[in-house]
Amino acid sequence: MERTQRYSRREFLGAMGAGVVGLALPDRARGQDSQQDGQGASPGPRTTMSGPMRESAYRPVVLPPKPGAKSSMSDVQRDALEHQLHCQCGCTLDVFTCRTTDFTCPVSPPMHSDIVNLVLGGYTAVEILDAFRRTYGERVLMSPVREGFNWAGYVAPFVALGAATVAVGALIRRWRETPAPASAAGVGAASPADASGATPDEMARLEAAIRDDTH
Amino acid sequence: MTVLGELSLWIALLLAGWACLMSFAGGALRRQDLILSGERAVYAMWGFVVVASLGLWTALLQHDFTLRYVASYTSSNLPRLYTLSAFWAGQAGSMLFWSLILTTYSAIAVWTNRSRNRVLMPYVSGTLAAVTLFFLATICFGDSPFARLPYDVIDGNGMNPQLQNPGMAFHPPNLYLGYVATTVPFAFAIAALITRRLDAEWLAAVRRWALVSWFFLTIGITLGMWWAYVELGWGGYWAWDPVENASLLPWLTGTAFLHSIMIQEKRGMLRKWNVVLVVSTFLLAILGTFITRSGVIQSVHSFAQSPVGVWFGALLVIALSVTSYLVITRLHNLEAKAELESMLSREAAFLYNNVLLVGIAFSVMWGTLFPILSEAVRGTKITVGPPFFNAVNVPLGLLLLALTGIGPLIAWRRASVSNLRRQFAVPVFAAVVVGAVLLVLGMREWHALVAYTLAGFVSGTILQEFYKGVGARMRMHGENPVVALLRLIVRNRRRYGGYIVHAGVVMLFCAFAGLAFKREFDVTLATGQAFTATDPYGHEWRFVSDGISRFDALNRQVTAVTLKPWRDGRAMPLIESEKRQHVDSRGQPTFEPSTAVGIYERASQDVYVVFTGQTGPDTAEIRITFNPLVWWVWYGGMVMALGGLIVMWPASDRTRAQGGYAAVMRPAARPARAGAAP
Repeated sequence: MERTQRYSRREFLGAMGAGVVGLALPDRARGQDSQQDGQGASPGPRTTMSGPMRESAYRPVVLPPKPGAKSSMSDVQRDALEHQLHCQCGCTLDVFTCRTTDFTCPVSPPMHSDIVNLVLGGYTAVEILDAFRRTYGERVLMSPVREGFNWAGYVAPFVALGAATVAVGALIRRWRETPAPASAAGVGAASPADASGATPDEMARLEAAIRDDTH
Repeated sequence: MTVLGELSLWIALLLAGWACLMSFAGGALRRQDLILSGERAVYAMWGFVVVASLGLWTALLQHDFTLRYVASYTSSNLPRLYTLSAFWAGQAGSMLFWSLILTTYSAIAVWTNRSRNRVLMPYVSGTLAAVTLFFLATICFGDSPFARLPYDVIDGNGMNPQLQNPGMAFHPPNLYLGYVATTVPFAFAIAALITRRLDAEWLAAVRRWALVSWFFLTIGITLGMWWAYVELGWGGYWAWDPVENASLLPWLTGTAFLHSIMIQEKRGMLRKWNVVLVVSTFLLAILGTFITRSGVIQSVHSFAQSPVGVWFGALLVIALSVTSYLVITRLHNLEAKAELESMLSREAAFLYNNVLLVGIAFSVMWGTLFPILSEAVRGTKITVGPPFFNAVNVPLGLLLLALTGIGPLIAWRRASVSNLRRQFAVPVFAAVVVGAVLLVLGMREWHALVAYTLAGFVSGTILQEFYKGVGARMRMHGENPVVALLRLIVRNRRRYGGYIVHAGVVMLFCAFAGLAFKREFDVTLATGQAFTATDPYGHEWRFVSDGISRFDALNRQVTAVTLKPWRDGRAMPLIESEKRQHVDSRGQPTFEPSTAVGIYERASQDVYVVFTGQTGPDTAEIRITFNPLVWWVWYGGMVMALGGLIVMWPASDRTRAQGGYAAVMRPAARPARAGAAP
């Protein structure tokens, strides 16, 4: 995959704004450098499926075992928990998928070890997720926590869909209350034949036959 | 040839500028000579882009490592297929490939409309040339595949091993063919808006192009899923990655358009909506490209972050501004010609279908862009992964599946109670039977249960429609069932091709629901050791390690683990998974090791084996996954594409009869005057 110096989002959006107003002139040499580095020959920095690998991204998440601790979940439940945590190596995968797919990743195995230790230390899934969130920040979760502004993420699609449904309902009601223009009266009554292989006459006969068949 | 290619690129750029200028000027001044000059420039532009493309292909095949692009993406030991596909493996080449497709489509659009849609064509040519101008400018001024290295290299870097897969050789071209095809309907929409000729004329011209786009996007997305499944090794085919989402967005709005266009054709309704959908589909295709090339969102598929991303952002803003202005200033030209008579009609069902498709597109786009929004508002980086998209989109998808079955059963204009009862009896019965059987068999995953129940309903709909149609033809023409079925499809391509697409949708939903029953196991096996697991169907599998082998292949060193599986005591074919270390022509390692997945594929499930690591000379770490119904994703995609092909297959001139609103409004009924004032 490509290996380049990434722009931060703020830098990028700034540059894009500049581009829109004509200030971001093309930088040919810079583009070529990006291209040259686009694919690497060894030796060179390691990559994930989605860009440079952040090999030093691992941060220990260690908590003392609870008194009389015993394993808080089964392996299957632990794997499900790992599906909720985002590997920090720079890939887009969760911890379970990354550690079982990309065996060059130096980040997901220690994250997995931390999870195993926390499970053995008697911590519940919620407590483990919280511990990782405190260490890495919210980005370590595979989906946003349902709180505060994040609710907008979850609710907006359904609000938009609801609003669109209401708008369509209102539109249909208005259409039904408003008589159709006289010029269009015959339009809908025309044969639903189409630009396929059948002539309108054949289509009409077929439609009639299908209708007869349903009685 | 390389110099000729680079020179051709610059000439094509000038011609694109000329075509754009002459076409718009010719349209505005009603000067036929300028219009013709613009159209000829479109053909010439295509010719020069073809020469430029041949130049790059020649450089790739001749291993001309003086070119930075060739050195970056190929090596002398790269297999021929991937040397050819390296054309679109990097950013600069893929932009040229995009331009090649765009100019080819432009030339076809101009040629096929040389005696039709003459009032629209200057603006169509002008818009196509403007978009081409943009792409060629990004290549010439931003990122050229003909740029040279300032030093000599003995061999190139080679291609990323993950791209050395047949799926990756064919997936991007299909996706590009789909993305780029959205430009032609967009150009017609712009032309119709400028000329205020917003009746069925422009729709008739763009329908097939919209189908072409949908067809290639369907194939491209399916191939992309297949590539991810067999190459990336994580056991899935759709990760809601931003670039995957970007390919889905224009597909969703394009699908909505292909449904709503029927309402305008038959009833003269949804005229504003159709314009918005055509424009949105194009803008979403550009948005997808922007996401891929800007690096603004982290993705598995990102190209290098380069200034080209900024160009795409600018194009997006400009195109959005221009089309918004045109739509707003022409709203009164877009009033419906007929009104909806009933909430229970096919047109109403199509409206709901459109709301859902666009709603899903919005939710996918919202989730894709939400990390940026969150960072802008809260300054906090978040991850929006599969759990979010599944939570939001699964309910919407199930609703859409239900509408897939409901829509075709309802009559146009107004459905009566007796009509509904008659039409729904069999499909509802099928749904109840499927749901009850699965419940009795112990299925308790409610998403899957609902999906299969609805799949039963939609299948009932489709089979009922075919049954009635075949029966009618048998009675009318005395045909045998096979002939009647074939002729039914051939002579009613839009209707029955559409049902075949719906059958593909059912297959896909069944496959997606199968994910609920996926089972994964991580095991460590030395040679001769065995592992036993139960699959989702209750069969007992025993896997015995046949050991680890090492060998050299064409451009890689391979370490492979082989498993000998037994199912319920019966021997099954060997499954082998590989670790590959690609090497250059001097035998030096290139890139990091990659995995080749071992798959035992059946319609019921895949046994998916990944060699994840080696802990000793003969001890392998292996992940074994039972993936139910994955096969149905690939074949569901193929069935959808087949249905799309049937729908868009051209009719003979003899039978090009058309009814409904389109027949009333088509040029034959209301001839267009060439060169008439907009």
